[in-house]
Order: sequence, then C-alpha cells, then structure tokens
Amino acid sequence: MKDIALTEDQRDCLQELINVAMGRASDKLARYLQTFVHLQVPYIELIDSQALPERFAENYAEEGVSLVSQGFYGERGILGESLLIYKSHDAHGIAEILGYEPDDISEVEQLTDISSILTTTFLNGLAEQIDNQLAYSAPRIVSSVDTPLEQHLEQLSFNWDLALKVDISYQVTDYSFNCDMVLLIPGEAIVNIQAVLDQILDEF
Amino acid sequence: MSIPVLICDDSALARKQVKKSLPAEWDVEVQFATNGKEALDILRNQQIGVTFLDLTMPEIDGVAVLEANHAEKLVDFIIVVSADIQPEMQKRVIELGALAFIQKPVNTTKLKEILQQYGLL
Repeated sequence: MKDIALTEDQRDCLQELINVAMGRASDKLARYLQTFVHLQVPYIELIDSQALPERFAENYAEEGVSLVSQGFYGERGILGESLLIYKSHDAHGIAEILGYEPDDISEVEQLTDISSILTTTFLNGLAEQIDNQLAYSAPRIVSSVDTPLEQHLEQLSFNWDLALKVDISYQVTDYSFNCDMVLLIPGEAIVNIQAVLDQILDEF
Repeated sequence: MSIPVLICDDSALARKQVKKSLPAEWDVEVQFATNGKEALDILRNQQIGVTFLDLTMPEIDGVAVLEANHAEKLVDFIIVVSADIQPEMQKRVIELGALAFIQKPVNTTKLKEILQQYGLL
C-alpha cells in the first residue's frame, strides 16, 4: 500500500475535477452569503496516517477550531471523509454575515448549514463528473475545545496507512471569512479513484 | 486559411477537453498556453483569432490576462472557460471584454452556439 503514487496525468485530472466541484460549491456559498468567494488552486498530496494529526496540529495550532466531518461512499469503491475546518474567529463571524442576532440560532446550526451546502454541492459535483452516486453519513461536529482534533482523526472509521488528501480553501473576500475543506480518500479507495481517473484520461 | 486558436489552461486535461469540443468543421490551428504568462506572450507576439481562457491559474490568472488584453488592446475574441461560475465573476469577465463565459466542463453545443452567434463559425 505504501508504494502508491499518482502519475502526473492522474494528478492533473483529479485537480481539474476538484476545480469544477469547488467552483460549484463556491457559487452556492456566494449565493447563500450574498458575497464573493475567492477561488484558489487546490493542493493534492498523499499523506501517511501517522503524519496527519501532526499536520493538522501545525496548521491549526494558534486558535481553537470547529470541524464538521462527513463520510461519503459510492460505487466502484470510492469513499472517503470530507472535513470542513473553521477557525473560531470565523465560526463566530457567520452569524454576523447572515444577519442573525446572537440568540437566533446556535453556532453549531450555522456551521451545519454552511457545511451542508459546501460538502453536498462539492461532492455531488465531483460524483457527477466521475459518473458515480455518493451517499453520505450524518455530519459530526467536533470542537477542538472539547475534543482534540488528533483524537477525531484517529477515530475516523477507516483503517488506512496512506490517504489521498486534497486541501481546498474558501475565502470570502468582503467579510474575511475563511474555511478549509480537506478531503481524505484512504487506502484502497486511492487505487479505485486512480482507475476512474485513468478511464477519464483515456477519453481525451 | 485556418484560424489561429489559443487554448490557455493550467490543466492538461482541460486543454484537451476544450480542443476536443471544438466543432469538427471549424478550420483552426490550435496552440496551447499552460498559464497566463505564456498566453500573454503569445497574444503580444502573434495574430490569434480566438482565445479560450481559464480563470483560476497560478501566478498570472485569467482575470489578469483579460485586464492586460483590455489595456493593450491585443485581441478581440476571448472566450472564458472556467469552473468559477459565480455571477459576479461572470459579470466581471464580460466587463473586461470577454466575448462569452462557458462553464466547465465545456458543453460542445453551447460552444458551437457562441461561435455561430459571433460569426466565427
């Protein structure tokens, strides 16, 4: 399992599929928040399960974060986990963006709403392009104040040594609201997605 | 005589997708650019009939190419082909002189309609 590697063509193909899915998710978010989302080129890497908690700790060391984690699984052995990560500062800002009074709706509900828009639009966009149907598990919300992120990552319900990790950043320009989407496609599912990518590459 | 066409996208797959979706009967000579900088070099030094331009690219992005094209009046026909489908972005590229906006992945029929609409086909 450790000797899996993406070819340059596979990486390019995956990145383009991600771009299209990310574009649709950004469009939905922009319409929901009535603002503009700045798109960046996504980052793709293969990561060792051992290194993942450490990588998260590095990226989100400074502040508390809230994380919305949702599993997905489809045909042909495509599965994984989508993580949306909000720094506390941004999580607090959502109510203001949406024009809620502090007591109108809980922060958890707001995060769930936004996460649902981003995750389902993104994953449906991805599924459509690879001619697949995805099902989703119920989203779980983890606050780093209550549960260390490392613990959540270790508890994710798949056994894997290696995962394909995709980092996507959604930046709302006029409100300085950011959130990161991390897609983890673990173990055998990497080989399965490689087969799907090769099939698309053969068409062009 | 063939029309010189430029396809600019950082993704090899996207470049091939656009090329493949050009109408078979359209007599063109296709060149590729893999980023905004390469595209501007070509647009400044060659006669290009129609340019297909991606937006989200590293370093010089598609919006910057449109801005430079607008300022330097390089070419008339730029068709944006992008995954960034936000209404504000579509409005912005049209204001910067793009002929049309096509969302990714490219729809062959839509592309043909646009080419016919502007008398390019």
